[in-house]
Amino acid sequence: MNSQIGRTPSQTIGPFFKFGTEWIADEHIVSEDHEGAIVLTGAVYDGAGNPVPDAMLEIWQADENGNFPPDTPESWTGFARRLTDASGEYRIVTVKPGVVAAVSGEPQAPHISMVVFARGLLKPVFTRVYFDDDAEANASDPLLSALEDAEARSSLLAGAIGNSSYRFDIRLQDSSRGLETQFFAFDD
Amino acid sequence: MASATILAKPQQEEDPPYHHAPYQSTALRGPNKSPLILRPGSTELHGAVFGESRIRPNDADLTAQHGGEPLGEKIVVSGRLLDSSGRPIRHQLIEIWQANASGRYAHALDDHPAPLDPNFTGGGRTLTDNEGRYRFVTIKPAAYPWGNHPNAWRPAHIHFSLFGTVFTQRLITQMYFPGDPLIADDPIANSIRDKNVLARLISTFDWDLTIPGTALGYRWDIVLGGSNPTPEA
Ligand SMILES: [Fe+3]
Repeated sequence: MNSQIGRTPSQTIGPFFKFGTEWIADEHIVSEDHEGAIVLTGAVYDGAGNPVPDAMLEIWQADENGNFPPDTPESWTGFARRLTDASGEYRIVTVKPGVVAAVSGEPQAPHISMVVFARGLLKPVFTRVYFDDDAEANASDPLLSALEDAEARSSLLAGAIGNSSYRFDIRLQDSSRGLETQFFAFDD
Repeated sequence: MASATILAKPQQEEDPPYHHAPYQSTALRGPNKSPLILRPGSTELHGAVFGESRIRPNDADLTAQHGGEPLGEKIVVSGRLLDSSGRPIRHQLIEIWQANASGRYAHALDDHPAPLDPNFTGGGRTLTDNEGRYRFVTIKPAAYPWGNHPNAWRPAHIHFSLFGTVFTQRLITQMYFPGDPLIADDPIANSIRDKNVLARLISTFDWDLTIPGTALGYRWDIVLGGSNPTPEA
């Protein structure tokens, strides 16, 4: 057994991160005219239902074939970072990821992993973005089908809003905007 | 709720909690529900690829990003990025940002009436080397007041953003300086309940890192948790 050394704990990103993080904050994983491009938009809200204008979110995902680097075209990063605007909103141009396997080997419904940092979050929140027009794949997804709470499940669904666009809001707490988003931590 | 995907176990609590009343911004922003513990899937067990081409030579020397020398005490901050088995995390991105020698951020919303420095922005980045090492040259940031409570002051700190090899290792944190009397009363630092864990955020003064006659040196190693399938070299 490896001896474990203590890991470095988290601290808040604080309010003043823009000049250190904006350099790689590109809303395009693919270009707007990429075949099959989708637009993912949404906003981050606090427990009063107010937008969070000083959050940073990042997504990581497979490409449309379910592949990750190095099994992807050279231009593919699978990563996007956005700083929320004054209305708490973000926008990302990407593709719907292909099917990837769970560790158990079962296929998973198409999903994107997301992490959100903000002033007032002493550690980030992690979640997953599924798509509400993948009803069949979602029904057999190992994570979604293990969630007994229908509201927790629906908090993970990006809603199709037409024109290859989806909306996914992040609610840090219960509020008039709706129930808290289901967040995850990962087993070490 | 336990399944092959969702695990019935408590979260490891070395990180601060979402709610820590002395840090007032947590009240409306910290989730009220505990996160579910997830067995990571393929997406979480992959990481982003950052090309070396995006990093420029002066990105790791924050004192050389403008036409002149910034004000303040020049320092070297260096250490290693490791996984929790002590293995180096190689060729991964480290980003930093910080206040200047007066305690002012180069950010439009920082209203602390301390002077900006035209020769210092305070943002830097680098990739770790083959042994997981990183090295920044910068200016020692000053403490600054903030509105959390009457006469609140943040201890001097540098914000660090770390990428491991997989999504689950993503970390943003803050490095503090040894002997800073403000740490003891800082709501953000003290959101970490275990003093031995908090001590991991405090750098060490190190003569070996100094540049004689020019810069003092601070050593700080960073250890990422998360499921890390780093192959043996
Ligand atoms: Fe700060």
